[in-house]
Amino acid sequence: MTKKENNLVVLSSDEEYCGGRSSSSKRRYRKTKSQSPLPRKSTRQAKKARLLGSRSCLHKDSRNVDEFNLFCEDFDQVFSTFKVSAGSGGICRNELWIDKYKPHSLEELAVHKKKVDEVKVWFEDRLRTPKDAHGNNVLVINGPSGVGKSATVHVIASHLGAKLCEWDTPTPVIWQEHLHNSSLGIQYTSKLDEFENFIGRMRKYGVIPSCFPNDSKQPIILLIDELPLTNGKAALKRLQNCLHLYVQSTQVPTAIVITDCAKVEGTDLTVQYLEELQLCLEDAGACKVAFNPITNNSIRKVISRICCQEQYSLAVEQIDAIAKSSGGDVRHAIMSLQLFCLKPSQICSSSSSALESSKENEEVPPTVVDDRFSFQFGRDESLSLFHALGKFLHNKRHTSNELVLDGEFSVKENLSRRPLNMDPPEKVLSQAHGQARPIADFLHENVLDFMNEEAVDDAWAVASYLGDADTLLSSYERMLARHNDAENILHLAAASVAVRGVLFGNSHPLSSRWHAIRGPKLWQIEGSSLSNKREMVKQRFIAYGGISLADFSVVATEYVPALKWLGSSASGDRENLPVMSDENTDFDLVNSGNGESHTSDEEIEDW
Amino acid sequence: MAPLLQSSQPWVEKYRPKQVKDVAHQDEVVRVLTNTLETSSCPHMLFYGPPGTGKTTTALAIAHELFGPELYKSRVLELNASDDRGINVVRTKIKDFAGVAVSSGQRQGGYPCPPFKIIILDEADSMTEDAQNALRRTMETHSKVTRFFFICNYISRIIEPLASRCAKFRFKPLSEEVMGKRILHISNEEGLSLDEEALSTLSSISQGDLRRAITYLQSAARLFGSSISSKDLISVSGIIPREVVDELFAACRSGNFDLANKEVNNVIAEGYPVAQMLSQIFEVVIEAHDLQDEQTAKICKKLAEADKCLVDGADEYLQLLDVVSQTMQALSSSMQL
Amino acid sequence: MLWVDKYRPKTLDQITVHQDVAQNLKKLVTEQDCPHLLFFGPSGSGKKTLVMALIRQMFGASAEKVKVENKTWKVDAGTRNVEIELTTISSTNHVELTPSDAGFQDRYIVQEIIKDMAKNRPIDSKGKRGHKVLVLNDVDKLSREAQHSLRRTMEKYSSYCRLILCCNSSSRVTEAIRSRCLNVRINGPTDDQIVKVLEFIGKKEGLQLPSGFASRIAEKSNRSLRRAILSFETCRVQQYPFVSNQAIPPMDWEEYISEIASDIMKEQSPKRLYQVRGKLYELLVNCIPPEIILKVIILSQFLLIFSVLMCDLYYLVSQRLLYELLKKLDAELKHEVCHWAAYYEHRMRLGQKSIFHIEAFVAKFMSIYKSFLISTFG
Repeated sequence: MTKKENNLVVLSSDEEYCGGRSSSSKRRYRKTKSQSPLPRKSTRQAKKARLLGSRSCLHKDSRNVDEFNLFCEDFDQVFSTFKVSAGSGGICRNELWIDKYKPHSLEELAVHKKKVDEVKVWFEDRLRTPKDAHGNNVLVINGPSGVGKSATVHVIASHLGAKLCEWDTPTPVIWQEHLHNSSLGIQYTSKLDEFENFIGRMRKYGVIPSCFPNDSKQPIILLIDELPLTNGKAALKRLQNCLHLYVQSTQVPTAIVITDCAKVEGTDLTVQYLEELQLCLEDAGACKVAFNPITNNSIRKVISRICCQEQYSLAVEQIDAIAKSSGGDVRHAIMSLQLFCLKPSQICSSSSSALESSKENEEVPPTVVDDRFSFQFGRDESLSLFHALGKFLHNKRHTSNELVLDGEFSVKENLSRRPLNMDPPEKVLSQAHGQARPIADFLHENVLDFMNEEAVDDAWAVASYLGDADTLLSSYERMLARHNDAENILHLAAASVAVRGVLFGNSHPLSSRWHAIRGPKLWQIEGSSLSNKREMVKQRFIAYGGISLADFSVVATEYVPALKWLGSSASGDRENLPVMSDENTDFDLVNSGNGESHTSDEEIEDW
Repeated sequence: MAPLLQSSQPWVEKYRPKQVKDVAHQDEVVRVLTNTLETSSCPHMLFYGPPGTGKTTTALAIAHELFGPELYKSRVLELNASDDRGINVVRTKIKDFAGVAVSSGQRQGGYPCPPFKIIILDEADSMTEDAQNALRRTMETHSKVTRFFFICNYISRIIEPLASRCAKFRFKPLSEEVMGKRILHISNEEGLSLDEEALSTLSSISQGDLRRAITYLQSAARLFGSSISSKDLISVSGIIPREVVDELFAACRSGNFDLANKEVNNVIAEGYPVAQMLSQIFEVVIEAHDLQDEQTAKICKKLAEADKCLVDGADEYLQLLDVVSQTMQALSSSMQL
Repeated sequence: MLWVDKYRPKTLDQITVHQDVAQNLKKLVTEQDCPHLLFFGPSGSGKKTLVMALIRQMFGASAEKVKVENKTWKVDAGTRNVEIELTTISSTNHVELTPSDAGFQDRYIVQEIIKDMAKNRPIDSKGKRGHKVLVLNDVDKLSREAQHSLRRTMEKYSSYCRLILCCNSSSRVTEAIRSRCLNVRINGPTDDQIVKVLEFIGKKEGLQLPSGFASRIAEKSNRSLRRAILSFETCRVQQYPFVSNQAIPPMDWEEYISEIASDIMKEQSPKRLYQVRGKLYELLVNCIPPEIILKVIILSQFLLIFSVLMCDLYYLVSQRLLYELLKKLDAELKHEVCHWAAYYEHRMRLGQKSIFHIEAFVAKFMSIYKSFLISTFG
């Protein structure tokens, strides 16, 4: 997600930098990333490390190098202006709080102590003992975004007194930029090439001390933030090979930071690739530390610390709300805090909509912690699909009937349900980016597991509602076939019917217990049914002695079974009979016994 | 096989009246229209009424009488529902046709040839509302050189602005008498012998639709030769013999589900179209005087539902079985009362 | 070759079951006054046999020299070009295809293929262009639009070609098409007719038929001649010489469905429903059309309700009560079951995923049946 936003920045600022400043826009991209709490100094250094890398693509024309340096200079100017406009830090303090309050010591880290120790010990080991003593020098840190993965490495590096070199995935070269570059004679280098070059050099020479003329005695730690992931299997293979080699041969302690994207929302391929890469790294012998989302408690602590220093006093509820809505993302929590602490008087000159909405919020009495409040600070809270499905299937309801109905409108007893203990299903759906069709399929596959053993009536109600949803959907799809711009209101309605049908119909849900959610077997069934059908269509000439087309269903229901029968009781006199026996084995009923409990990783791709 | 003989021309075409005054049974319409023919000026027209009552025939006849065979092609455009008739067609085809100017009115070969073109839109009620709206503008812009004849079964499906621009003519269903005359005329021409019973059967099964009657007659003649009985006509028309329907209904009255199920199976195996069966059950139910209103209502409601389901493509056997079982329930509820 | 095909009558004269229809058709051909034809009737009644014999009557033995083609039609559909692939069987004089295979693009195919045929008409010995016959299967499965366009093309090209339409139910064919065709209803052969055919085949194959055996097969075939002959042949393979009380093997999928039905009768719970779903999947994988599944399920359920209840009841209740119970069964259970079957079958047509609807029916049945059991036995 963050990557995308940054791309946008590059694009939008493109006109500003047209005229040969493409590489500076590249630089700028890195700075916009200032969200991540990088120590300023090390960024510079890392830049130099990159320079090494980029040189290979610039070496053709030494003039380019000069140009490059030139850009580096005016880049600082650009950056400072940029920061004012983008950082909502306001006027008096033109620094983002996330930079200002980035952790400087181990104590300040919000990351769980155990994890930090784990990482620290690992680095200490590498740095203290002779280089060959360890099998490998690579540590993979993964976890969701904003939990302080890179920050941890930075802090530990400074704690151990090591120099940190950093490699960031460069901005993708956009097309116009590429055109421009090629007209200047700069060769295009893909980010993967760049990475390969870089890694290659690192393997051979380690970090060349001359890069850091001031003090070559310092130990060096390499941080690779974000692997250069590209599309395509071939590229992946290259990357894998390259990493594999690196892990096995490098002398420099290296941390590779990998940000998990939520499984469902990321493009499925990326997720898969990332997983493959991680596996490959582990195979090569890299150590792995997984960071979890940060607990609300630690976030609360961080927030109150900042509040203290900034001399804002926030109510406990407000801090709570911010912590809660951040979803374990410290960076985000601090951002929200800064936004929230803007007083109207301080932002009079600004008119960005985000600020305005915060102004609005100011009018709301701050003690009221309502939905809007948490919404405002909620990071784009996408539930995973499975989370949402789980909610629907478990069908959590309030234990007491809070919603006391007055006499005017009362529902029959068998139709009344206790109020739901969750957001409105439609909201949950939209958070999970659920498409109606797969949602219905998943519910259909799993709902029976969550039902009371005795409740056949419930099963019927649920099945019937799912059927209704299917009917709605199919009319939607038929409409789509005619006009592509058909409103998807039907789609939404179908999703709602499916979900609410399940919630309503399952009136005696099982008490909560753990259940794996299966991927719909239906998809597999449909696939094989289709291929069988194709097979059978080919065989329809078995009827009528091949001089006429047989009705398909007749072939399926009468000819094929009959031939199977006849074929199985091996008879010799039937040479004219089309050879069926081989295919027959394929037709044989898929054995039902293999209770496949696919946990849906593969199937998700299908949609 | 040798090329087709002329005899294969449908009788409906063969005996289609060529002149407005020959159109059967629509006396008022004919009177008004002959007037317009004499003055050779006509407004936009809208013909509506049940199928087989002579709407298309009348429209074609007017066109022919106005222009004669030579000019007919260049002056008359026939569009019917089965042509692709979205808004685009209305916009382009009609515009193109209407846009070409016509020479001033000069009599040619004894035909009046008034200075306008005629566009005949058959089955106009199956046009979308958008298309009809688009047509409205076209009508206005080209009203000097074109006349529109709309033909439809249901006037309610023509949007009001269009209908108000036209002279409306209602075509009524043909009476048995008129139909009988027409049929006799044709069977004389074709050398068929038709007895009294067959004639009345034909009139009743075609329900005032002359085209259908003629089609049945021709089919029967093809299949069974020149002497046609009422049984032949029934078998050709796809009408289900009364006995079958009665038997099914009797099974419903018996209250024995298995018996009814057997009857339903029988109906399906005999290949009777179930939609037809439903409408005939309907007749039986309406005629049955011993039923209470509520029972009739229940049965009719179920018939309507089943009909809709059939249109959606539902299985015939299951639908008919459902109808029968519900009918049975409705009937048995009376016995308890 | 299967007996069904081996003993299929080749000419109109050989046809025994629908002799009257065959003779009428022959007359039409000899008088060279053949209109468009619409054959309708249940599956296995002999529509196709008649059609093939009719074509042979028209064009002689050359009609049997057919080639199978997978043609791709490129159709200009106004805004875009559509490519449709379809299997056709054709001789010099006729083309046969199933336009509903093309899905919702069926309407283009009809127009296009008829245009194409009109262009390539065969030239007879006198140098005159003859006409072609187009056989369309499953016209009842055509969309409304396709039927409309079919009607138009029928009129436009009626001098070039003749259409022979086949379908199971004429309810779904629009009035417009029906009125332009000569409608021929083909009823399912009666049991006696089936028995005759079976005896004829038995004689040809030199088999000894015990008395009553053929009629048992006929009874089981549900008035489908094809079905009868197929099961006759399987009986022959299964056991010969025949014994008069020999079991007639059901189709494997039917057996499977009755298994499902008895599962349903034994236990009514969500868990069982889940197991049933697994079995239904197997049927669907084997391309058994879902509507047939639904139909056969209720038929076998009716049978089962009786047999299961009867067994249980004899021991449980007195004779009088049994009678009452059966009446109750008749009055409530059956009506309800067949109502829901019809309801869900309709839904299934409207929807896409048939399993949802079949399952809903099964669940409904379980629920009805369970409450019935509870109310009768407490």
